[in-house]
Amino acid sequence: MPDCYYTCNLIPLDLVARNGYSPRWLGNHLRDGDAPARREALSIHPMTCPFVTKLVAAADELLADGVAGDGDDRLVVAGGCDAMRRMGDLLAATHPERTFVLPMPRSSGPEVEHRLAADLRRLDEWLAPVGSAADRGGATGASTAVPADPPTVDYPEPPRPGGVFLVAGPLSDDSLLRLIGRLGSHVSGLDSCTSPDRWKPLAPTSGEVATSQTASPSLDYAALAARALEAGMCPRRSTGQRRDHLVRRLDETRPTSIIYARQSFCDPGAYDALLVAALAAERHLPYLEIEVDFPFDANGPLHTRVEAFLEAQLLDDDLLGDLGEDDLFSEKG
Amino acid sequence: MPGMADVTGDSFSASLIRAAFLAQIRWKALKSPTARRYMDLHALSAALDLFKPGAIVPWVSYLFPTELLTSYKLTPMIPEIGSATLTGSDLREPVESAAARMPLARDVCSYHRIALAAVENDMLPAPTMCLGTTPLCLGKECLLELLATRHNVPFRELRVPLPPDEGEAAPEVVADVADQMRVLHEDIGRWTGRKPDLRKAIELSNRASTAWGHIMSERLAGRLEMNGRSTFATVFLGQLLWGTEEGAKDFERLLTEKGRRDLMAPALGGGRKLKRLLWLHTVPHHDAELFAMIQEHGAVVIFEEMGQMHLETVDPEDPFPGLAKRLTDNVMWGSSARRARLNVALAKQLNVDGAVHFNHWGCRHGLGSVPVVRAAFMEAGIPFLAVDGDALARGGPQQEKSRQAMESFLELL
Repeated sequence: MPDCYYTCNLIPLDLVARNGYSPRWLGNHLRDGDAPARREALSIHPMTCPFVTKLVAAADELLADGVAGDGDDRLVVAGGCDAMRRMGDLLAATHPERTFVLPMPRSSGPEVEHRLAADLRRLDEWLAPVGSAADRGGATGASTAVPADPPTVDYPEPPRPGGVFLVAGPLSDDSLLRLIGRLGSHVSGLDSCTSPDRWKPLAPTSGEVATSQTASPSLDYAALAARALEAGMCPRRSTGQRRDHLVRRLDETRPTSIIYARQSFCDPGAYDALLVAALAAERHLPYLEIEVDFPFDANGPLHTRVEAFLEAQLLDDDLLGDLGEDDLFSEKG
Repeated sequence: MPGMADVTGDSFSASLIRAAFLAQIRWKALKSPTARRYMDLHALSAALDLFKPGAIVPWVSYLFPTELLTSYKLTPMIPEIGSATLTGSDLREPVESAAARMPLARDVCSYHRIALAAVENDMLPAPTMCLGTTPLCLGKECLLELLATRHNVPFRELRVPLPPDEGEAAPEVVADVADQMRVLHEDIGRWTGRKPDLRKAIELSNRASTAWGHIMSERLAGRLEMNGRSTFATVFLGQLLWGTEEGAKDFERLLTEKGRRDLMAPALGGGRKLKRLLWLHTVPHHDAELFAMIQEHGAVVIFEEMGQMHLETVDPEDPFPGLAKRLTDNVMWGSSARRARLNVALAKQLNVDGAVHFNHWGCRHGLGSVPVVRAAFMEAGIPFLAVDGDALARGGPQQEKSRQAMESFLELL
């Protein structure tokens, strides 16, 4: 069964699996940085976010003939931001038969859903043509069990109010969450495209799952598109919708501080960080923006900054506690 | 000489200084009546009106169809033009300091970063509405919507699907974008309480397009050799004037030798031929030395990718499909493969000696396409150079490095 690598959890994995591919998140298949690069390996501009940079290298190696993987392996790139779209362009130019770029809108509404549904149909048709799903060992039943290879990020311990709300782009693992725990605090919530609550498969919501070579008219692409837009409330989305989403998350999780872990050279993240900083200010919550790598590295200056930020809050909490016990501030009977 | 702060104030004395300043610019244009001089005058004059108390200030993306605004006698505020103008003025230091103090990451596009710092520090007028287009980049949409949210004003985005790699956008796509424009045009009227004259705006825009289209086809045919750097600057400012009487007259001035004399490519003595360069993407606005060096090496930027817009007229009876098509099929929009194909074809048509791509600081859209564009030029056997830089920078180690790279490239040619 060939693999279909994908870059974003908004790609409907059932759609991939029903065409006989094993969906695999590309972030789990980064190339070994110490291994020598192929002479003809693709290179991109250094002013590109580490996520895209690493994914380009990984995909190029996985798709290069005779280097790794199966000759039938495919790649689906969700073009949500300029860097990711250009990554898709580059890989499509280099591996034209094996790369699909799915445009990802930043707004929503009926017309946007309609356009995305049409693009999902194109993706379904693109995945279908070589052999039937059954030939490739793919799904033949009415419901598809999606082989799981999602990001491995999960809460080290259940989130609870009164801690740090973490906003991040894609994370390679849970080490930032663990770091917060090691430094004496806890996590109230995580808003990232790799957070566990974002890895629900966007299953078809109506109609039979087709097994034929061509796209099934019964597959409800519109419903898939609607669900993708509903789930994908990430930094690239419309500021108003994103703000509403974050307000709801903050209300639900009731944190006492916010950390924004932004990848360098990430445009949507840069503007989103301003939005989150404003929300933090409105709620009088301490706010810290850190620049992170992909894969995530919790050592060095980043560790120090997070530690100092959390320590300052613990200090504030202690002082406020002392003040509360002081006679001067206690209520006279 | 008054500074920018003097001419952009909203006091009575500022309005007097503004009038005197514009009179001086007008006098210069009268003495040397070229399209460029007049375009400077009219763009500056229109832009300064945006600083007047009570002015309606539509912040728009660079490719926004400004005729939708000029039909209501509104002047667009384009962040890229505002940033380039401010950083070329005596406000450079204050706006750079303001940008440095701002919490926005330094690695985003400097046009947008400076624009945000400027509006937040009263160096550019606050928006009355923010109107974007998905072409060309995501960053400016983030900026425009952020501004709209902060200033509590309407935000609209014209959603333009990517065109196919080969051929033109499908008719239903053009129709969809046209419908969005139609609705938005009505919305602008509702927000402003003004009555539009879209037909007049389109007719004026068509006069300008007819002139500009003719100039561009003459350049493409090799019958007219203009300096791409200077022409870029003129068309860049001209974005503020499409659909206005002044814009129509200014573009028509390009049709005469006298009107375009300060935009012509230099000529070498002794019958020697200049090396011809195609310039891709934006230019370093304040780095005159780079272009002086190009000229010293017997080369010239003969054509600029970004000048390829508004080349066709649109139907005044039903302008929305024509305006939509300018967006759906814009040469800079679409995949890297499309951009590469169009630019290689352009380079061959122009018979250039080389192509230069300016990797503007923070522009993921532009520099992300470079690997594909470079590969296409290499395959076509056309020398290609990508230089890193910041379109708003003035000096510094990055520019020095770019100059060295350019010098080596020119020597290679």
